[in-house]
Amino acid sequence: MEKKSKNCKITVRDIALIGVMTAVIVVCKEILSFLPNIELVSFWIIMFTLFFRWRILFVVPVFVLIEGCLYGMGPWWIMYLYAWPLLALLAFLNRRQESVWFWSILSAFFGLFFGLLCALPYAIVGTIDNGIRGGLYAGFTWWVAGIRFDVVHCIGNFVVMLVLYRPVRDAMRRISQK
Amino acid sequence: METKKPNRKIIIGAAALVIAIAAFLVIFNVFREKPVAGSKAITLEVFNQENQTSEYQVQTDAEFLRQAMEEAKGFTFDGEEGDYGFTLYTINGETHNWNVDGSYWSIYVNGEYGQYGIDSQPVKDGDVYRFEYTPPYTGE
Repeated sequence: MEKKSKNCKITVRDIALIGVMTAVIVVCKEILSFLPNIELVSFWIIMFTLFFRWRILFVVPVFVLIEGCLYGMGPWWIMYLYAWPLLALLAFLNRRQESVWFWSILSAFFGLFFGLLCALPYAIVGTIDNGIRGGLYAGFTWWVAGIRFDVVHCIGNFVVMLVLYRPVRDAMRRISQK
Repeated sequence: METKKPNRKIIIGAAALVIAIAAFLVIFNVFREKPVAGSKAITLEVFNQENQTSEYQVQTDAEFLRQAMEEAKGFTFDGEEGDYGFTLYTINGETHNWNVDGSYWSIYVNGEYGQYGIDSQPVKDGDVYRFEYTPPYTGE
């Protein structure tokens, strides 16, 4: 989807691209924040990984840092440190996939397991306070309480990817050819 | 071009997704906190910004905490209905709104940090619900 650069230097264009990608993710997240677990962050991280490859290594940390500055670096924020990079990694590993159904299913799985990923910090904190059993209980109850929202997240991610993947992919291809 | 092989994989993936959703919903229905019918004696504790604690004993038939809070004498609260349920902002006239200054009311159930809002927190006999002022996060 992009030609290999001849050297490893980050250009001004790269910095601008990273800034624009981060801005798109943050703005889309804030605009949709009134809808529970309907988000475009997963969609953009997948698309940006597919089209802009290594630049996502800068986009995700900056996005996570901005979210921490906006909302405070609570336990939920720790989960951001590994959940979004995990999604970018999954997208990169499957970068040759072209099927809209594949990406919709992958994005849906990510939404469904988001709560489980989020439960890890609570399990760790619970383990520190009350031992392994207490930690597992804390993480498990936290995850179970949010399963309905995880299902909404799953369906939302599936629909968003199904609707937007092709038009955005085609638009990105046109842009990258210029 | 998509070949037959990936199509089969995608069908398997879609089926796995449906099964995973069903499994998650079963887990939710089996393990979620369920309300208990009948009379229950519970305690509401408020730990405010001035480090003062007040306690309210409530005899209630309420299945969820919100109704029990409404029945508690001398205990007042206010907040906002939202997509995630009721958000608690004010207790006994003291307001802590996370959206304004980052402070909020934490809910502890029998000493454990609560996992539910007040309108989905099931009430059980003997439970102690503690509403604790939580200051804004400062990174310290």
